[in-house]
Amino acid sequence: MIQLHNVFLSYQKEVTALHGINLHVPRGEFVFLTGPSGAGKSTLLRLLYAALTPTRGQVVIDGQNVTRMTRSQIPHLRRSIGVVFQDFKLLPNRTVLENVAITLEVLGWGKQDINKKVFHILKQMGLEHKINATPLRLSGGEQQRVALARALVNDPKILLADEPTGNLDEENKDLILNIFKDANIRGTTVVVATHDRRLIENSHKRVVALDKGKIMEGHDVAQ
Amino acid sequence: MSRNKPAKRPKLANEGLVGRLRFFIDRALLNIRQNVFVNLVTIGTITLAILIISLFMLVFVNLEGVANDWSKRVQVTAYFEQELAPPELAALKSRIQAIPGTDRVTYVSKEEAFKRFRERLKGQELLLEGITTDVLPSSVEISLKGASRNSDAITAYVARLKKVPGVAEVQHGEEWVRRYTTFMNFMRLTGLLLGGFLFLAVVFIVSNTIKLTIYSRKEELEILSLVGATRFFIKAPFLIEGVLQGAAGAGLALVILTGCYYAFLHNAGNFLSFNPAAAGLAFLPPVYSAGLFASGVLLGFIGSATSLKRFISV
Ligand SMILES: Nc1ncnc2c1ncn2[C@@H]1O[C@H](COP(=O)(O)OP(=O)(O)O)[C@@H](O)[C@H]1O
Ligand SMILES: [Mg+2]
Repeated sequence: MIQLHNVFLSYQKEVTALHGINLHVPRGEFVFLTGPSGAGKSTLLRLLYAALTPTRGQVVIDGQNVTRMTRSQIPHLRRSIGVVFQDFKLLPNRTVLENVAITLEVLGWGKQDINKKVFHILKQMGLEHKINATPLRLSGGEQQRVALARALVNDPKILLADEPTGNLDEENKDLILNIFKDANIRGTTVVVATHDRRLIENSHKRVVALDKGKIMEGHDVAQ
Repeated sequence: MSRNKPAKRPKLANEGLVGRLRFFIDRALLNIRQNVFVNLVTIGTITLAILIISLFMLVFVNLEGVANDWSKRVQVTAYFEQELAPPELAALKSRIQAIPGTDRVTYVSKEEAFKRFRERLKGQELLLEGITTDVLPSSVEISLKGASRNSDAITAYVARLKKVPGVAEVQHGEEWVRRYTTFMNFMRLTGLLLGGFLFLAVVFIVSNTIKLTIYSRKEELEILSLVGATRFFIKAPFLIEGVLQGAAGAGLALVILTGCYYAFLHNAGNFLSFNPAAAGLAFLPPVYSAGLFASGVLLGFIGSATSLKRFISV
């Protein structure tokens, strides 16, 4: 589902964030991307949803070479990838419903269908009572779940999450992890970047460790 | 739990051109409601620009109307080498009639010429005492068809007329026609330049005000792009917003112009005692109004398209 071949990425000439990454994530797998701050986890995720193009090497998603995509092909790639951003990127002056609906509006869904589907997923996330609230009125954990709902509402082939448990308490972490696992069981390939050791230890999933832009040999293991 | 089927789409209410358009128009209206002030500034700017251009057009249309009116009176007068007997006269008249551009040929006898002369000297008839009706020559007056009433055509016409046997001298208001044609061309050019500059200035202003509204929605545009919106999907509401602003601005300008015109008419008696209808002042023909409206819409569209070009790189 996801293949990286000898990928390099430099932000400026000096700063090389990724050094020759080779990675293969089969369809339906659940992978943790771990490593200290600055290791290149966020950068790797950005390559996957085509916010960055590699300086060198190939990125192949679902059989399509992202590196060779034209600008007009990228939206179609992104529609099959749900992303949970580290800073959530929720619109502060829109309701929870409107924030989640964006994903489906882009696909051209009708209002009725959007409302039904969004309500359904917010109910799964335990947020049905907050449907008309704005994000600023929500707790960190609730905001995280809204961001997740937006990423998952169109049943994407791939789910990417960047530090999804950043400031959450244990209870919320478990909730989020279970949502990831549910999505994975329903067939979504999941890649989660985190430096949260406890989250990884509890999950028993494959772990890919990054350090200084390289994959640590012997650390790409299924626990 | 069931496995995902890849993004199964239900029957889409937004599908098809109409549904899409409705969605985008709703979005544009939402944008406008959330940025009322900026939108009013943009609409005001377009209104002002269209008003200035339309006032200029009004002046132009009326000058052209006057010119047309006057040019109907443009006449060419031909004098003869010698007085003609009726059959010769008829032959000459038909030869003149055969020249392309001739509308009507009227014979003015010596008596008729004298009568006209006397009428012009009304109240001073004494001056004519002792002068016989013989003193003025007879002539033919030729009125021209519309297409031949400009200075180039008249020059050509006169040249041909002079070649007609029996015609000694030809007079016409050439100088006047030439000046008028020059003046109208000058007006046309000024109008075009003025209109062009105004258009550019307004495109600049509109594009900047729309940039403000786009800037205020930067986050939303980023998210739209990240969830897979096409560039068209992101741009369309802003383009529609521009078109709506243009239509509103141009519509308002035309309403104001029409309002002023009829206010003048209505108050003709007391308002500077000026009556545009009595003075023959015409309103813009529908084609011009439609053109103005269309250019307002175009202004809004171009203004928004240029600002989007600089903004949306995703
Ligand atoms: N936008 C950027 N511009 C320049 N350098 C960046 C940018 N983003 C990240 N970097 C650099 O790239 C390296 C990897 O960063 P990042 O991928 O954010 O690591 P992580 O997510 O693992 O903490 C770091 O050295 C960081 O300073
Ligand atoms: Mg990071």
